Amino acid sequence: MKKLTLSLFALLSLAGCADDNGTPRTFDNNDLELAVGNSARMGCSCMFVMEMPEAYCRAWVKASPDVAKVSFDVVNKKVESSAFISWAATARYVDDKRGCILE
Amino acid sequence: MRAVLVGCLALGSTLAAAQTCPTRPSWPTDEWPVSLVSPTAKAAELKALEDFAFTLIGEDKERKGFRTDGLVIIKNGVIVYERYGRGHDETKRHISWSVAKSFSSALVGIAVREGALKLEDSVCAVLPEFEGTPQCAITVKDAITFATALGWQEEYENATYQVSSVISMLFGVGHRNQLKHILGHKLVGEVGKRWSYSTGDAELASALAKRALAKKHGNDAFWKLLFEPIGMKRVVLEEDIEGTPLGGSMVYATPRDYAKFGFLFLNDGCWNGTRIMPAGWVAASTTPSDAFLATAPDDEKTSSGYSWWLNRPIPTQNKPKPWADLPEDTYAALGHWGQRIIVVPSEDVIVVRTGDDREGSIDVNELTKLSLAVAR
Repeated sequence: MKKLTLSLFALLSLAGCADDNGTPRTFDNNDLELAVGNSARMGCSCMFVMEMPEAYCRAWVKASPDVAKVSFDVVNKKVESSAFISWAATARYVDDKRGCILE
Repeated sequence: MRAVLVGCLALGSTLAAAQTCPTRPSWPTDEWPVSLVSPTAKAAELKALEDFAFTLIGEDKERKGFRTDGLVIIKNGVIVYERYGRGHDETKRHISWSVAKSFSSALVGIAVREGALKLEDSVCAVLPEFEGTPQCAITVKDAITFATALGWQEEYENATYQVSSVISMLFGVGHRNQLKHILGHKLVGEVGKRWSYSTGDAELASALAKRALAKKHGNDAFWKLLFEPIGMKRVVLEEDIEGTPLGGSMVYATPRDYAKFGFLFLNDGCWNGTRIMPAGWVAASTTPSDAFLATAPDDEKTSSGYSWWLNRPIPTQNKPKPWADLPEDTYAALGHWGQRIIVVPSEDVIVVRTGDDREGSIDVNELTKLSLAVAR
């Protein structure tokens, strides 16, 4: 939670800045967006490309902050991830050459 | 005239030697031959290796220590050791993370062989949508030698996420059009001279190879020209929604298939008499790049060629060979969480290790030293 708070502060104060004086550039996304993107993409690849069990994949995609709620749709080969109300991401399996894609 | 004739003959013999492919009793296009080392004759060596690589610390959910998912050792073209852990087996693909970068440089090599790319080509010759930008100064060679000079910030999960070019590209604002995200970074140094390790550079390389090869071979060119000829039957290379291959991080293959890629390089880029990589490509891939020699930071102890890591001393930078117990000709593809394809030509050995090391990746020197003791 501490990291989330700090990151949100960083987002509010520095979002979108690109600095020419050596200060690291910051990107216009926050931890919640990254958390759902990560868990959707990696969860999809874990289950449908690596073909590992759901319990393994849930543990594999766990990241800090651990806020993403992940839903595995085995029938349609897609993984949806959400955090609180505003953040969601979906990754779906494409084929046996290109694996999963984050929409 | 005589001098010219002698020169031509010398050049001809050099080219012939460069293009001659190694011969082998067999090639693992369909499957690897297996002849495992004796568990009794090699008991001590096996125990030392497995205690190092497979001893779990604490509960799995704690993610501590070296957590090996697969370990395969090839000696003289034969599997001599193979073990899996944590629910993985020989049929399951495993994420490559940055091992993918060595694949991307090889795919550029394929495009060079096909005449679809030249190393000195500007990226804008292949990606015309970036025409007119300063990034047109970047060449194909810069992309495979981490020398684009893009102000890329190679940070992972242990850094503040907002400053990571990688995390933003894969999961955040850049994920839908990753090529635009990569080339949207400003140039922060002299192109071709500034060495800086970058997932963006490698992904750019794979995008260049795909775009160049697609004109003649379609969107499955990587499989047609590289993966299928060497028997990598189940390899996956993921893409973004625009079709850009995620060639910096997202290859998935079985450990046995990863070993086939190592075997291709071990055999000078040839496969069963057919030259897959251009003549001289493996040598160039495993020679420290000019950019590395010129500008690599002091804390980068391991030199790189065409996106392969090398066990070469760099006297001009007072750097000894990084893997002290391994032969100097050792080179490796290395990835996050301890993914490894290690090639030791002087021992005719390949070591493939997949894993999930969240506390710090398994040591190449120790892993390979113990593996060589098993294989000898």
